[in-house]
Amino acid sequence: MITVTQSADADKLITAEELEKKIRMAAEGIKKQPGLMKSSAGYMELVHKYVDRIVTAKEKGKWVATHGTQQPLEIYEAMDVVGIFIEFWGVISDAVKLESVPEALSISTSTGTPGEVCSFFRNLDGLMHVGKWPRTDFMLYATSSCDNVKAYHTLGRRYGIPSFGLERPYLPYTPKAMEHWKNEHKRLIAFLEEQTGKKLDYDRLKETVRLSYRLTELVLEIDKLVAHVPSPMSAECFGGPLMAMRLLPGTQDAVDYLTALRDELQERVDNGIAAVKNERFRVMWSSFAPFWDPGLLPFMQQKYGAVSVCEVLARWRGEANWMLDPEDPLGNLAYKTQNSPGNCQYSSSIDWAGQLVEQAHQYKADGAIFNNNWGCKQAAGLGVLCRDELMRHCSVPSLTLNCDVIDSTFTTRAEVEAQLDGFFEMIEASKAYKDRRNPK
Amino acid sequence: MNTPIKALDEMIRLTSPFPESVAVKEWKAKGRKVIGWVNPYVPEEILYAAGMLPFQITGNNEPVQMQGAEAHIYSNTCSYIRTCWQLQLDGKYNFLDGLVSSSFCDQDKRLFSVWEYYKKLPYMDLLYAPRKRDEEAVALYLADLEDFRDRLSQHRLNSIPDRDVANSIKVYNRGRALMHQLYELRKRERPPVTGAEALEVSKAAARLPREQFNALMEQLLDEVQRTGREIKKGKRLMVIGNDLHNTNQIAELETLDAVVVVDEMNCGIRYAWGQVDTTLPPMEALARYYVLGRPVDMHNWNSDGRLEFIGELATQYKVDGIVSEIVRFCTYNGWDKFDLRKQMEKRGIPILDIDIEYGHPAGAQAKIRAEAFIEILEGVA
Ligand code: SF4
Ligand code: SF4
Repeated sequence: MITVTQSADADKLITAEELEKKIRMAAEGIKKQPGLMKSSAGYMELVHKYVDRIVTAKEKGKWVATHGTQQPLEIYEAMDVVGIFIEFWGVISDAVKLESVPEALSISTSTGTPGEVCSFFRNLDGLMHVGKWPRTDFMLYATSSCDNVKAYHTLGRRYGIPSFGLERPYLPYTPKAMEHWKNEHKRLIAFLEEQTGKKLDYDRLKETVRLSYRLTELVLEIDKLVAHVPSPMSAECFGGPLMAMRLLPGTQDAVDYLTALRDELQERVDNGIAAVKNERFRVMWSSFAPFWDPGLLPFMQQKYGAVSVCEVLARWRGEANWMLDPEDPLGNLAYKTQNSPGNCQYSSSIDWAGQLVEQAHQYKADGAIFNNNWGCKQAAGLGVLCRDELMRHCSVPSLTLNCDVIDSTFTTRAEVEAQLDGFFEMIEASKAYKDRRNPK
Repeated sequence: MNTPIKALDEMIRLTSPFPESVAVKEWKAKGRKVIGWVNPYVPEEILYAAGMLPFQITGNNEPVQMQGAEAHIYSNTCSYIRTCWQLQLDGKYNFLDGLVSSSFCDQDKRLFSVWEYYKKLPYMDLLYAPRKRDEEAVALYLADLEDFRDRLSQHRLNSIPDRDVANSIKVYNRGRALMHQLYELRKRERPPVTGAEALEVSKAAARLPREQFNALMEQLLDEVQRTGREIKKGKRLMVIGNDLHNTNQIAELETLDAVVVVDEMNCGIRYAWGQVDTTLPPMEALARYYVLGRPVDMHNWNSDGRLEFIGELATQYKVDGIVSEIVRFCTYNGWDKFDLRKQMEKRGIPILDIDIEYGHPAGAQAKIRAEAFIEILEGVA
C-alpha cells in the first residue's frame, strides 16, 4: 500500500460513512419539501440504499467491487458482491460535499496523473491515494466506455487489488462476437468464484436477471410517459431511471422504485400535471447530464421553463427485448450489456448521433446540450458530428458546454447561464421551434 | 561530421513531398490503390496482399496549425488526431482510396468516424484492437481479421487467398528483421546512426512499398557497416511515449551532447519487433503476432509488461536517461506515468517528462529542462 499523503486536506474529502449519513438525512428532509414529485423521496432512499450497501458490506459478509460501466451487475448481485460505480461516486460527492472532488483531483495531480484525464477516474485516483476510497476487494471493468478503463488495472496493481476486465468486441452482433462476449461473462464468474470462494447459484442469477428485465420494461414505460407533451417528469426525479437501471439492476428495491415512479408519472399525465406550468423548451442531453452542478436542472426548469426530457446515456434503444431465453441468463446478460444505455459510447460517432436523432424525434426535443467534458476523449471527437446530425435530420440546434464532468470549479453557473440565455433565445426565435409549437 | 547515408537519402527522396510522395505517385500511376492506416492493429500484410499500398496516416516534420480541424474535433482531442484531420482538410490525403483503423484508442476511433462522416472514402474499415493478451483475444482478433479480409475482397471484387497473405508476411517479416538489425547496431558504444536518422527509417517503412523499402534497408545496413559510421556523443538516451513523426523533435535532443539509441514507440522498435510465424496458417499467424508477438503497449490494460519492457531496453541499450514525450490528452500514457517513474527509480534510471503537442517542436521551457537533464546525467556519470 502507498503511504497516505499528509498534505491532503482530509476534511474536504468525502468518506463512505459521511456520504451515507448525509444522504440518510437528505432522504428524510426531502419528504418535507413541498412541490416536489412524491418519487423524489423514493429516489433519495434508493441512493441511500446504494451507499448503505457499500458501507455495511463487510459486516454482512459481502464483497465490494469498484467498477466501471457496462458491467453485468446481475452477476454481482447473485454472488453477494456490492458494486461501487466510480462515476456515481463522483456525482454523489458533488451532490453532498462539493469541495470533495476538487480536493481529490488535486491529490491525483500531485501523483503525476495528468489533469486532462477524466475526473471520474482522477477522483478515484486521488481518494485511493489518501486511503479515502471505500474498501474494495476487486476492480471490475469492461471495454466499453473509454481508454481510462486502463486505470482499473493500474490502480489495482498500485494498491494490491485484484482486477478483471471483460473484453468487448467492437462490432458486437456477429455470432462469433456474441459467443466471445458471453464467454467473457463466464470468465468474470470464474474470477469472482476464485476471489470469493463461492460458487455462483444459477437459480439466483436467473432471478436477478428476471428483475433486471422487469426494470428494462419499466424504464421503457417511463420513457413513453416522459415523452408526453408537456412532460410530467420533474428535474428532481430525472436521474431516477438511470440510478435504478444502471446501478441497481437485479434488485427488488429498484423495481419497486421504478414501479412507483411509473405510477406517479401516469397519474400526472392523467391529471394534466406537468413538470412546469408553462413548458417552453424540451431539452435533451446529448452526452450526459450536468453532474458537476446538481442544481442546474431545477434552475433551467424554473428560469426558462426548460424541461429535461432525455439523456442519451440513460435511454434504451428501440424495444430492448434482451430476454432471449429465460433459461440462459448469461446469454441474456451478454446481449443486454451490448445493448444497454451507455454502450453507444463505445460505438461509432455516427451510431451515437443516430441515437440522438431517434431520441430527438421520440421526445420532441427543442434543443440539445452537449456537455464537452474536458477529460473525455470519447466526447471531444463527437460533439460536432452530433450537432450536425441533429440539425440535418430534425432541425434541433445544439449548445456545447465546455465543462468538467464533476469538477464544479471548472466552470461557473454564471458562465453557463449566459450561454443558456442565448441558446434559448435562439431556439425560441427559430422557425423549427415555431413550427413544432404551432403545427399547420 | 558523419557522411550522409545514401540509402537513407533515397528513402527520404521517395517519401517526399509528404504525404503524396514520389513513391505514392509512382504507385498510383500504375492504377493501384493506396489505403491509409492509422494505428498498430491494422495488419498491413493483408492490404499489401490485396495489391494495395498501406500508408500510415501521420504528420511529418512540418508542424501543422490545427485550428481548422477544431471545427470538427474539439481542442481537448490529442494533437496527433487533430493534425491528421487538418492534413485531410488541407487536401493532403486526397490520394487515399481508403482508410483502415482500429479501436486502439478513443480518439482514433473518433477520427475514423469524423472521416467517415465528412469525407467518406471508397473503402473504410475498423478493427478491434484487443486490450488483453491471451488466447481469447487472439481468437477475437482473428475473427475480426477474417471479416476484414472478406470485406476487402468484396471491395476489390477479388479474393485475397492465404497464399498471397503468406507471401506478404514474408515481405513484411524481412522488413522487420532488417529494421531490427539497425536497432541491434545501435547497441554499440558508438551507434552508427542518430535517433533522428533512425526515425526517418521507420517512417519510410510505413510509407514505401515494403519490397522497395527492404531493398533500400539492405543497402543502408551495408553502407553503415562498410563506412564504419559512428556517432560520438556523451550520453545515451531512450525516448518513450507517443509516436513522434517530426524528426526534428529527436534532432533537437541530439543537438545536446546526447544520442538517442533506442525508443519504445509504436512507430519505432515495436514496428521492427519479432516475426510473424510462417509455420502457422497465415491469418492465424497474423492474429498471434499482432496480439501477442509484440511488446506490451500503452493501450493494453495490463501495462506491467510495458514498464518491464522499457526497463529491459534501457539496460540492454545502456541508456543514461529516458525522455518520456507524452502528447497532451493521451490518456493511456497518463496512467502509466506514476508507476513508470517508480519502476525506473528502482532501476536507477532518470526520466525526464516532456508534455508535447504532436508534431510541434518543444518550447523553450522544454529545451531548458532537456539541457538541465543532460547536465544531471553528466553529473551522475
Ligand atoms: S466521461 Fe468519458 S472519459 Fe469519463 S469515464 Fe465517461 S467515457 Fe470515460
Ligand atoms: S496520442 Fe494517444 S490519444 Fe492520441 S491517437 Fe495516439 S494513442 Fe490515441
